[in-house]
Amino acid sequence: MNKGKILAGLDVGHVNTKAVMMKGQEILGYCTVPTGFDVVAAAETALNHALDTVGVPRGELAGIVATGIFKDMIKVPPLNVTITVPDYVADAKGALFLNKNSRTVIDIGGNIHKAIRYDQNGNLLDVIQNDKCADGLGIFYTTMAKALGVSEQELSELALRSTKKVSVAIHCAASAESEAIDLMCQGVDTADVADAISRFMVERVAAMCTCMSLAQEIVVAGGLAKSKALMKHLPGLLKQDVSVLDLPEYVGAIGAVMSYEGGK
Amino acid sequence: MSEHEYTSMNEQLDWKKAKAIVAGVDVGAVSSKAVILLDGQPYAVSQVTTRTPKESASKAISAALAKTHLKLENIHYIVGTGRGRTQVPFAPKTITEIACGAAGAVHIWGPSVRTVLDAGGQGCKVIHCTKKGRATAFLWNDKCAAGIGRSIEAFADLVKKEVTEIGKIALQSDQFPKLSDFCAVYAQSEALDLIRSKVPLEQVIAAYHYAMARRISTLVARSGVKKDFVIIGGLAKNPGIIDWLERILKVRRLAPEREWDPALTTALGAALFADAFCRRQQSDTSTQQG
Repeated sequence: MNKGKILAGLDVGHVNTKAVMMKGQEILGYCTVPTGFDVVAAAETALNHALDTVGVPRGELAGIVATGIFKDMIKVPPLNVTITVPDYVADAKGALFLNKNSRTVIDIGGNIHKAIRYDQNGNLLDVIQNDKCADGLGIFYTTMAKALGVSEQELSELALRSTKKVSVAIHCAASAESEAIDLMCQGVDTADVADAISRFMVERVAAMCTCMSLAQEIVVAGGLAKSKALMKHLPGLLKQDVSVLDLPEYVGAIGAVMSYEGGK
Repeated sequence: MSEHEYTSMNEQLDWKKAKAIVAGVDVGAVSSKAVILLDGQPYAVSQVTTRTPKESASKAISAALAKTHLKLENIHYIVGTGRGRTQVPFAPKTITEIACGAAGAVHIWGPSVRTVLDAGGQGCKVIHCTKKGRATAFLWNDKCAAGIGRSIEAFADLVKKEVTEIGKIALQSDQFPKLSDFCAVYAQSEALDLIRSKVPLEQVIAAYHYAMARRISTLVARSGVKKDFVIIGGLAKNPGIIDWLERILKVRRLAPEREWDPALTTALGAALFADAFCRRQQSDTSTQQG
C-alpha cells in the first residue's frame, strides 16, 4: 500500500486542523493547529509544521489527501489539494489502520460526532451523525472547562474524583451549561458538576448510537476520546466494550492517506 | 476575563463615622458584585468573575473591602442575592434578585421607573415595579433565552474582540445576513459559517447582536413595557443589544446614570434591603435599652 511514497493527510475540522505524514504503513509525524477563520492558512500551517517535524522537504511529498468538513476549501492555492475523501470514509480507513480488528468507530469531534460501521476492508456499511441540536459537544466541553475555571485535562481529572451523582439537562448544551451553573449555585461539589457534564455529553453520543447497530470491536476517535472521564461512562451507556485508538484525533488524517489512489 | 473585574470606592466618606455599615452581595452566573453603603451612601463597590459561588461571594466582598480598611466584621448587615444567593456564607439574609433589581433600579433612576429589564449572564427577566421600588410582577426567560449574556461573551472570544467593545462594533452595520434568533447556540454556529465564507466581521457581529436583541425582545414584549423603562445587568453596557432592543420594541430606556454601573443595580438593591434591616435592628435595640 502506497509503497515508499511520502504522503500527507489533512483533516480540516470545525475546531482543529490535523496533518499527518506517512510513508507506506509508517506514521512519520503529525501536527494540530486551530482552524480559526482562515481555513487555507490553517491547513498550510499544519502541513508545514508536520513537514518540519519529520524533516521532509515539500518537494519530496508525493501527494496530499484532504478530509474533514472544510476539505473543499483548500482546493485553492497555495495548497491546491486535488484529492479529497469523505469524512466517513477517512474515519473508517483510519480506524481500521490503527486497529485491524475494529469494525465500528465512534468519532467525537469539536462540532460533530458520528459513528461508522465498516467491514474488514474498511468499506462503509452504515453511518450515523448527530442532529443539529447536538452540534458542538467538543466546543461545549471547552466552554464548560472555562466556566469551571479549569483546563480540559483538569475537567476530566476532576470528574473522575466525583463521589455523588447529579444530572444536567439531557437535550441542549446551552441548557446544560445553565443547569451546571445552577448546581454550583446550590453548592454542589465541582467534581460532581464535572462528572454531570461528562455524563451529559456521553449520553448524547450513546443516544445517537442507539439508531445504528454497532459491530465489535468498537473504537473511539476524535479529540474528546482523550477525556478519561468521558470514556469511563461510554461502555456502560452503550452496554458494549469500547477502546480508545492511539492518536484518536488523527484518525481522519490517517484515513485520508490510506485512501490515496483507492488505498492501493 | 479580567475586563469585568474592578473595584472602586468613595474616598470622601469615613466609615468610622457611619452608624449603619451594610453590604449587598449579588452572586450571578457569570460575575459576582458587592456594594457597601455607609448610612445609605455608596462607599465601595466591586465586580469579580464567578467561579464557584461560595468563593466568588467572598472574593467580591473582599475586593470591595480591600482599599477601605474596613473588615468583614465591621459590617452591620449583609444581604445576599442573585442566582447563587444561598451560597453567601456571611449573609444572614437572602432576597431574590427580582426584589433587589426593582429596589436598586428605583433608587438609581427614581420613582418613575415601572419596567426593569434585567439582562444578565444567564438569565433575562422583566420586572414591573411600583414607585417605591416594590416588584409587582415578573417574567423570567424561557429556557431557550438562557445564557444570552454568557453567549455574547463566548461570541466575543470567538471573534477575538473584547466583550466591552463588541457592542460598539455591532452598531457599524445596518445591512447584514439574518441569523437564527431562536437559539444562541445555533446563532453562534451560523455566525461562524458566515465568517468562514468571508462575510465582513462587522456584519457578522451586527447580525449576532440583532438576533440576540430579537430573542430578548420577545420576552419583553410578552410581559409588556410600562414607562419608564430601564435596563440593568451586564448587557445594559452593550450598545449593540440596547440599540436594537429599543428599535424593535419602539421604546427608549432611561440612559444609565453616570455614577452607577448598571451591572451593580441588583447588588445595590440588596444593600438597600440590608440598610433597612440594619436600621430596624438598631431602633429595636435602642427601644429595648430605652
